[in-house]
Parts: sequence; structure tokens; C-alpha cells
Amino acid sequence: MKVVSVLTAVAMICSLFLFAPPILAHHSFAAEFDANKCRDFTGTLTKLDWQSPHAYFYLDIKNEAGKVENWSFQTYALITLRRNGTDRQLFIENMGKEVWVRGCLAKNGKERYAAAGTLKFSDGVLHQVGQLQD
Amino acid sequence: MKLHLRYSLVWAVVAWMLIVSGNAQNTAQNTEYTIKVLPPGGPPPRLADGHPDLSGHWFPNGAGQGTSGRFGVDPAAVSTFDPKVTPEERPVFQPWALAKIQSMTPTELELSKSSVNCMPRGVPAIWLQNPYTTLMVHKPDMLVQLYEVLNNWRVIHLDGRPLPKYPEPLFHGNSTARWEGDTLVVESVGFDDRTYIMPNGWFHSDELRVTERYRRPSMNYLMVEVTVEDPKVLEKPWKSAPRRWTLGNGDVYEFYCTNNKELEELQKLRELELKPGK
Repeated sequence: MKVVSVLTAVAMICSLFLFAPPILAHHSFAAEFDANKCRDFTGTLTKLDWQSPHAYFYLDIKNEAGKVENWSFQTYALITLRRNGTDRQLFIENMGKEVWVRGCLAKNGKERYAAAGTLKFSDGVLHQVGQLQD
Repeated sequence: MKLHLRYSLVWAVVAWMLIVSGNAQNTAQNTEYTIKVLPPGGPPPRLADGHPDLSGHWFPNGAGQGTSGRFGVDPAAVSTFDPKVTPEERPVFQPWALAKIQSMTPTELELSKSSVNCMPRGVPAIWLQNPYTTLMVHKPDMLVQLYEVLNNWRVIHLDGRPLPKYPEPLFHGNSTARWEGDTLVVESVGFDDRTYIMPNGWFHSDELRVTERYRRPSMNYLMVEVTVEDPKVLEKPWKSAPRRWTLGNGDVYEFYCTNNKELEELQKLRELELKPGK
């Protein structure tokens, strides 16, 4: 009986730490992407995959050796993009044009794949298109 | 003399810190946010039977519009409650339940989230861990909840029908409703065991019982309070803070989860976690 009480007390104390604020993490950026590996990307927009839960866009980016590589970037949910004014048409109108992105690499080591945080199309307007925790 | 100089230096540093601190506060106070807290508005609309009409397009924040990924948002408008004003108690788990939650790896925890695996959030998570809007259509005999997330929906009958004796496990549970003054009280049992109360591993048992309390104290505010009873998992019932949803307009958007690549990406990460030496 005493053992049970002690276990319960320990569980109660642990609960306090486990569920310390902020209690909510809707969708953990840190689980999938590395906030220590964020950088700027500039490339040409080649493709848009506009489906839920996340949009993906693709850029042709020159690497340090001058070779062009195609990168994919994950964004917020489509609903969030629509509500902040970054709608599908913006991407369509900028297809083939230069895009600047601040993004963070995937933790699983997948090559040429990142989470997009902020983005500028050729008009220079800053858009928040995903979490950016660097 | 040297001591005097040292005191002078200390006072100079303190004075400088006070000035900087004051400037920072002034800057914060002078910030002009473009997305602000929605005022309460006038009295709530009422149905012909006199009860508050809960109909509306409800946003899970204080702004009555989207706040995620937007600039110029007043921090006070971002959440459904301020823990400094209405602190929310923490769930107290039974030891076995806490051990089960703590045994999850970060990737397992992530994979369990409905925001990642595209499973319905279910009740009560739809009111506790949902960043998308809910359109409610309220008739005297039913409350229809149209959840933007995953295009889910729920019908709550208001005819006082009893809870089923042998409830089928459902994502939104089996519900009965009654009015207590201007508060609509909805009690539900029988939940699909793939739902989580919160996206932090808080699972439930087949004895989960959820009570939702809905109030519309004014035109623009919907208050939702949730009580979770689960004697197999919790040491005692848990009660949420009153969560304030705000009335907005604009479209309810389509959200069919047809291109979920996160499961694949996280599975790769899970394989890395399980590699020897990790």
C-alpha cells in the first residue's frame, strides 16, 4: 500500500514536469527539422505541389560547384498559407522566377529537402510560409 | 577612493539598465499591432427557445481571424486562454500511464499526433489541440460542428436522448446534451482508442468520459470548458481552463489530407533512432 502511495506521489511530481507549460505542441518542428541547420537558399521556382496537409515547392539551386540541384521545401498547412495571403496563385505567377527562402534541413538526412520558414518572391515582399526556429 | 569609484560604476550600470529596460517597455507599449484582440461585442444572439445561439465561424484564438504565419499579431490575441489569468491544472496520471507516456521516443510521440498522422483529432482534442476553425450551426434540436481540420464533422442532438448502454467507440464519442441556464453541457462516452487528449502522448482508456461546457457570453466570444474523467489513466478528473474562441468571417477551407509525406519522413527518422548505438 505504501509502495503504491509512493509511486503515485512520484507520478504526480513527474506529471508536473512532463506537462509543464507550454502544454501544447500542435506539430513539432523540432521533431523533423534541425534548427541548427538553417540557411538561406536562392533558386528558380520549378514546381508546386499544392495539397494538404502541407504544400511543397521546388527550386533549382546552384551548389558551390556550380551544378544545379533541385530542392524541395515543406510549408505550413494550406489553410494557414491562404489566411496569411500566400495563396497558390502567388506561386503560379512566380514559376520560373527567382525565389529567396530561409529554411532548415531535415533531421533524417534526406538530401535537398528543407522546411521553408520565410520566403520572398521577386517583388521582395516577405512571407511567412512555415515555422522557422533558428 | 577606489571603493568610491567602484560604487559609482555599479550605480552607473544600474541606471543604464533601468533606462534600457524603460525604453524596452515603452517600445512594447507603443507597438501598433495590426491584428488585435477582438472585443466581446454586444449580447449573444438567441434562438426562439431563448437559449444562446452558438452558431458562428469560430477561430481558436482571440483575434477572430487567422494569426498563424502573420506579422503584427498582438501576442494577447494568439491563444484561447492566458495561463497567467486562468491557470490550467495539469493532468495527474497513474504511475503506469505516466511510464507509458514517458517511454515514447520523440519520433513516436510525433507519429502519434493527429496533426502528423491525419487521423481525426476526436473529442475533446478538437477543442484543445486544434489550430483550425470550427463552423457551428445551431438549431433547437441539434448542434452541428463542422471542423475545418480534415473536413471532419459532428452532430450533437439536443433532444435529451440518453447515452447508449453499449456505446460504439467513435472518434467524437456518443453524446447527450442538456442546458444548465445559458450553458450547454455535452457529456460523451465511447471513444476510439486512437485519439489522444493532448498531442503530448496523453492517451485514454475505454472508460473515458468527456464533459464539454459551451457558453456564448457575448456576440463575439464562445467559451468552451472540457472535463476529462478517465479512472483507468488519471488519478483524478482534469478540467481545462475556459478556452475562448472568437467569431470570425471568411471561408471555411477544404482540408483533405491527400499528400501526407510526414509519416514517411518520420519513419526514416525512427529507423535512425533504432539503429544500434543511438
